[in-house]
Amino acid sequence: MRKAIYSMTIQKDIEGNEKKYLHEFADFSHKRVVEIGCGEGRLTWQYAHASSLTIGLDSDHGALRVASIDAPHDRKHKIHFVHSEAEHLPFSKETFDIAILAWSL
Amino acid sequence: MVHALSEIRRVLIPNGILIDLRPLLSRWEVEVASARETRITGKVNDFEVGIADDTAANRSMAEAESNGWFIREREEFFSYVYSWDTPHDMEEWIDDEWNDFIELDEATQRSTRSAWALSDGDARAQLRIKMLIGRWRRVKTRD
Repeated sequence: MRKAIYSMTIQKDIEGNEKKYLHEFADFSHKRVVEIGCGEGRLTWQYAHASSLTIGLDSDHGALRVASIDAPHDRKHKIHFVHSEAEHLPFSKETFDIAILAWSL
Repeated sequence: MVHALSEIRRVLIPNGILIDLRPLLSRWEVEVASARETRITGKVNDFEVGIADDTAANRSMAEAESNGWFIREREEFFSYVYSWDTPHDMEEWIDDEWNDFIELDEATQRSTRSAWALSDGDARAQLRIKMLIGRWRRVKTRD
């Protein structure tokens, strides 16, 4: 899809349901998490603080650049962003406790 | 999609969790909402290609389950609301970002603009998206 620059104010998930359900469905405490389709990290920031390691994957270089810039400074040691396709995950087997398909299947 | 699920299975520990989180096309409702009230002004039209994507994703998960890779533990639907300052902003966003799979017809555009113009000063245009969240457990067997 074409990326555009918007002057409008858009608000997402104004009822906070996504974060609520995400934490109902998984306990991220001290877990190693891979998020496939992380984009600019909007969802990543909803859980990564609790994890021991979070890897965000996306095939969009621009989105990953934004995610890296937006990463909270005090968490940069445990949040990493990687350019990759979901069909070829650059990790050893049995590396993660939780995988998230984020708006990407 | 199935190959991606195979890769996810490979990198997850035995008994690891896969969260499948995604929107589902279902003629999402358009709303005008203020602090005082929320009014439904119409629904978007879904394109076949988007519906086909949802079907393909569901089929991939079913195939992963039948292959014995994952077991479905829980599934729910919830609303995810996008909100814009004005109906025009919403129309522009849909046209730029989502024109591959949904459209706003003229009647819905008119009713949304009209409702927004007659609403309180804090009124916003909203789109209520149907979301699926599923939790799948990687089957314990080792490769």
